[in-house]
Amino acid sequence: MPIDYKKNQVLFREIVGVEEAEGLLEFLHKRPAAKIDFGGCTHLHPANLQVLMAAKIRIAVWPKDANMCFWLKSALQPEK
Amino acid sequence: MNPLLVQFLSEARDTLYDIGQKLMQLEQTPDNADLMNELFRPVHTLKGNSGLFDFPEMTRVLHAGEDLMVAVRDGRVVYSREIADCLLDAMDFVGQLCDEIEQGITEVSHIDDAVRLADALRKLIAVNAARTDRVESLDNIGVPEQPKPTNFIKSKNLFSLAPVPETIRMDAFRRILKGDPLHRLVYSPVEDCFFQGDDPLHQAQQTPDVLWCAIVARESWPNLVDLDAYRCVLVFNLLTAAPSEELVELYRYVPDQVVIQPVDPLHLVIPTGDPNGGPVYEDFVAEALLHLDGGNLASLGRAARTMLELSNPDLWLSSALRWLLLLLENMPSNRAVLRTLIESLRTLTPPDWSLTDHDAAEPATEGLSENVTDSLNSLSEEDAFERDVILDAQRQILMLQDQPAWHSGRLKAVATTLINCCAAMGEIQTAAEIEAALKTGLETGSGGLLLDWLNARIGMPTLRANLSEIVQSPQGQQQTGNVISAFTDEGPKFGRRAEDQIGPRSLKVDQVKIDLLMNLIGEMVVSKNALPYLAQRAENQFGAREVAREIKAQYTVINRIVEEMQGAIMQVRMMPVSFVFQRFPRLVRDISRKLGKEVNLVLEGEETEADKNIIESLADPLIHIVRNSLDHGLETPEIRQSCGKSAAGTLIIRAKQEADRVLIEIIDDGKGIDPEVIKRKAYEKGIIDETTLEQISDRDSVNLVFGAGFSTAETVSDLSGRGVGMDVVRTGVERVNGAIQLESEVGKGTHIRISLPLSMAVTKVMIIESDGQIFGVPMDHVVETVRIRRRAIHTIKQSKTTVLRGRIVALKALNVLLEIPAEPRVNDDELAVLVVRVGSEPVGLIVDDFHETVDVIQKPLEGVLSGLSVYSGSALMGDGSVLMVLNMKEMV
Repeated sequence: MPIDYKKNQVLFREIVGVEEAEGLLEFLHKRPAAKIDFGGCTHLHPANLQVLMAAKIRIAVWPKDANMCFWLKSALQPEK
Repeated sequence: MNPLLVQFLSEARDTLYDIGQKLMQLEQTPDNADLMNELFRPVHTLKGNSGLFDFPEMTRVLHAGEDLMVAVRDGRVVYSREIADCLLDAMDFVGQLCDEIEQGITEVSHIDDAVRLADALRKLIAVNAARTDRVESLDNIGVPEQPKPTNFIKSKNLFSLAPVPETIRMDAFRRILKGDPLHRLVYSPVEDCFFQGDDPLHQAQQTPDVLWCAIVARESWPNLVDLDAYRCVLVFNLLTAAPSEELVELYRYVPDQVVIQPVDPLHLVIPTGDPNGGPVYEDFVAEALLHLDGGNLASLGRAARTMLELSNPDLWLSSALRWLLLLLENMPSNRAVLRTLIESLRTLTPPDWSLTDHDAAEPATEGLSENVTDSLNSLSEEDAFERDVILDAQRQILMLQDQPAWHSGRLKAVATTLINCCAAMGEIQTAAEIEAALKTGLETGSGGLLLDWLNARIGMPTLRANLSEIVQSPQGQQQTGNVISAFTDEGPKFGRRAEDQIGPRSLKVDQVKIDLLMNLIGEMVVSKNALPYLAQRAENQFGAREVAREIKAQYTVINRIVEEMQGAIMQVRMMPVSFVFQRFPRLVRDISRKLGKEVNLVLEGEETEADKNIIESLADPLIHIVRNSLDHGLETPEIRQSCGKSAAGTLIIRAKQEADRVLIEIIDDGKGIDPEVIKRKAYEKGIIDETTLEQISDRDSVNLVFGAGFSTAETVSDLSGRGVGMDVVRTGVERVNGAIQLESEVGKGTHIRISLPLSMAVTKVMIIESDGQIFGVPMDHVVETVRIRRRAIHTIKQSKTTVLRGRIVALKALNVLLEIPAEPRVNDDELAVLVVRVGSEPVGLIVDDFHETVDVIQKPLEGVLSGLSVYSGSALMGDGSVLMVLNMKEMV
């Protein structure tokens, strides 16, 4: 599974495809306080990104991949 | 294989089929621009998707194909057969790559093929373009070249650069001065782009030299409950140092979703930071202006540096000073700019660069108040744009279909926005109108009145869609006027958003899962059938009649549900015959071209449905038949014309449903089959003997072509003539309990009928008993059940016969056929005879007794038992016993 749902944490791994968005949405709806761990994520389909943006989640770990990190931050970490 | 790839492969197949079909259609109507556009879309999607993975060969070929199609679409190249051939080859190549990827073959390199195909495609563009260019140069002398549509806008700021961190802005500033192109790029993918397989994030990530990016939402986020994850509302705001050609190239598939704008370096000069209690720097400003006016830039720089050292770096002042130093360093001669920046320290508001002399040509964006007194139409282009965006946003809000608790608040907000907007445009009197509409709206709880007002006001419900056009057009002002007049008559398109969200969604399910369901429902049927036995036991063994009745009542309920469920699952397994038919246009086209024949293929009833297994078993036989028709049936155009027929032959493939069977007909108007030739050939090959040769009817003799080893062709070609074709067809059809019939008239054509069951999952069988064992006989074969007095049985030579309704029926004892050492049981001097029909003749089977008919799920015999051809399969009965189903064709 590209997404690993822990008790209060969501772990993203490798390529997270479009079909994960529905499950992610459901989970975050139930656990709005969950934190996201992008550690192993190399690509995220924007449908998931939308869900994360809408849920205003907190990020525990940013991706290791610098490029990925740059793009995710541009969506999930608005400039102050 | 990762799921993304699996999805890609399955989508690629569908897309390839789609492309192939459209190419063929296009051949009929080469001028159909709509079709060309439709064709372009899947190719583009496929190419885009292939880019997600590392398939350079695939992408290369698709890319070349796409370029060729663009050339055709733009009219630079004329669509022709060669182009179709080349494109079809390219698509075949892509299909082959897909197959190999799926099978995990990666070591074979196709780069040579890819290059060859791509070159061939590109050559077609060059050759054709050269040809058409010449024509055009003669025709179009003096005609101005069509302005190329660009998505460049110069005047309007796409998004504010203020959120961009200062260091990045300073870096960007330096790069512009160094001569690097700097662009703002806004990429707003369409809402349903996820369904088209697009990955906008990936697309955005491909943008070269991105300095800064912000991914934002087009609209405010709803509650998570209402969020549709698959409706894309993302907007990508990018700041990039890539040249515009590169950006246009990258986004060329989505030109309508992208706006690119060169950045004026001064627009980057936005001091930001903590105002620290407000503007208190009058001393410094006065001193700095003095230096500036005196031309003493060195002193100005020193003063600024000193001030900067004394100030907290987070202050707005410090930021402005840093910019001042940067400007001093890079454009010291531009006094006006320096002055504006220094003066901005008085108010601590970012300088408005559009007001400086530097950009005098650009109209003032703050100029609303100057224009307002006139009517709407006198607004400048930018202001009209701003106003339209605001009004359109309000209309979208009003058109939202949901009714949240804060609906009244929403209405009030809209009304306030509208009033302020009108006030800014100097139309204070309209405020009363809006307030009245708001009041009614609040009472009725609907924004309809406000919406009406708004629509009447702007009269352009589809404004948003046209905004991009306005933006793209160099004569935006004029076009705005045109668009308004063009759309005033049209009513508002309500509910469009609601539709967008509902869109049909189908599931792709693995066939294994459906088969599992099928098996489960089969078991369910069996265990359901156990209930009547249980009821019987309750009554007979335990004398509990009451319980027995209740079990029966429950049974009827379960029975109904199971039957419905079975029907539903069957429905899932149903497939349209178009699954098989879809390959024919291509097949017929290729073969007929190879044979030099002209053929019109007519497909009818493609939507007819049948079980997946049936449809799949149909594929091979049909291909054989169609090949035969093309090879032997239809004549070459010359022969046809000499016979007084039209040059092009017609091949009709028709499917229709008749009761519980599917009827497939293949009709050609070719030369037909000569029964004499067939008879002679069959005799030569030893398929029939001399007596049959004499007696056989014409009708029966043409059906001899289905015999094993039969071939009329003198030579073996790669199309037909090996003598296996029609035999394979017959066995293939019979394997799924189908029947095939052939009719032919010499010179007129051939007509082949294939009749197939709709579904092969459930078989109705009659249970018969013989020597204490029970057997099943498929109801398809059962004609009637009769009891015959022993007297009525006559023996002719070795065989027993009887006369039923004036017809002689041969009788065979089941015990003898199955080698059961027992005599048939006689009841009151009567024998039970089951009359079955196999082929054309009825045969009587002497059995011991008849039982009821049941629906069973027949399972083929496996292992050592599979050699027993006398049984077609076995089925599990409700009481747990196994029922052997007899194979009538083998037995009788």
